[in-house]
Amino acid sequence: MTEPFSRRRLLTVAAGGAALAALPVRPAFAATDEELACANFAVSGELLLADMYGHALGANALTDPGRNALRNGRRAAIQHASALSGLLTGAGQDAPTAADFDFQWPAKAFTTPVAIASTGRIVLRTMLGLYQTAIVAVTEPSYRILYASLAGSAGQQLGALTALAASSVVEPFPVALDLESASGALEPYLG
Amino acid sequence: MRARLLTVAALVALVASATLASGATARTHADPLTIYAAASLTEVFKALDGAQHYNFAGSNALETQIRNGAPADVFASAAPLNAERLFKAGIVDKPVTFTANRLALIVPRSNPAGITSIYDLRSKPVKLVVAAPAVPVGGYTVTVLRKMGLSSVLNKVVSRESDVKAVTGKVALGQADAGFVYVTDARPVSDQVSVIRIPAWAQPRVRYEIAVVSKSPNKAAARAWVKMVLSAKGQTALKNAGFLPLPKASS
Repeated sequence: MTEPFSRRRLLTVAAGGAALAALPVRPAFAATDEELACANFAVSGELLLADMYGHALGANALTDPGRNALRNGRRAAIQHASALSGLLTGAGQDAPTAADFDFQWPAKAFTTPVAIASTGRIVLRTMLGLYQTAIVAVTEPSYRILYASLAGSAGQQLGALTALAASSVVEPFPVALDLESASGALEPYLG
Repeated sequence: MRARLLTVAALVALVASATLASGATARTHADPLTIYAAASLTEVFKALDGAQHYNFAGSNALETQIRNGAPADVFASAAPLNAERLFKAGIVDKPVTFTANRLALIVPRSNPAGITSIYDLRSKPVKLVVAAPAVPVGGYTVTVLRKMGLSSVLNKVVSRESDVKAVTGKVALGQADAGFVYVTDARPVSDQVSVIRIPAWAQPRVRYEIAVVSKSPNKAAARAWVKMVLSAKGQTALKNAGFLPLPKASS
């Protein structure tokens, strides 16, 4: 008999950083269609983000401090994808994997630090926008905590990428996006 | 002389009888195979090899027919489940994945309901046509809508069809405002329908599997045909018809 997933457990898992990916997630509640749709898109977006960081690292356009930021961002994206996948599989759905996509990037997306920052910001601003909406849209409090955590991380990554381009953009109120708008923004990259 | 004629006649009769006897148990290479294939493979299989006998229908219906003893040599299914079930029952040899596909929403060219996005299905009054849930494309449709948080759209279904060609036909003829089909089914009727893309993140894993029927009287030819579908020639034909390459995990 498996133990049902509880709010306390999710909070523990969410606080656990890397451990988050390793723990099984089983919701004790019935996720709504909208919650599952958010999670499906969010997994896909985080997989895209991990791919973006991988390409940026492979392009060798940055020196060590910048490369560390990319590595950390990639690690976070993989952990986020894993945590969100757990929500889906716990609800009985197949979670997307990187093999399901043929990610597409513009030819000059990773040629310079400014280009890398620009490419990453497109993805991260979309994810941040969706996470803001998800925090409000989902009914389960533990989901809200997770999405708030993901939004915080996306904001940190945006700051790190902005610094790569020797810029200091600070948006006082990043725009919230509904699922349809977020989907449209990333569709050219998801293949 | 008469004795010699009788001998020749007897020899001819013997050869003819031997030929007939062998024909009853094993066909020659020139004889066409009977291939049961998912309806979505209609155009590409006929173009790839027009010399075979085909039975195109929903994979679920074909599975039932083969299970009941229909004389198929090869089964090509639009979902792994149908081929795998027959394999587990010992009715077909081990199936292999040979191609993949994607779903799309199609609307009549005149687009009377004004649908430009899959999300419009939620907000606009539409007559939606889908395949029955047991048909692979019908199951994939349910998956897409669930992934996008649009399951409520199924309340607008006016007709559930037995295969993807029936869905395509109804939309092309304007008998429905929209329908879910494979992207490859929209191509042959591109002058009659418009295609609305389904986001990559909401796509189901559409995998086609092919297998030789275990009781086929001509397994060697059936195996060769399957090999041809998996060959560069077969894969090029599938690609040209809009099918996707072998999935990464299978290639």
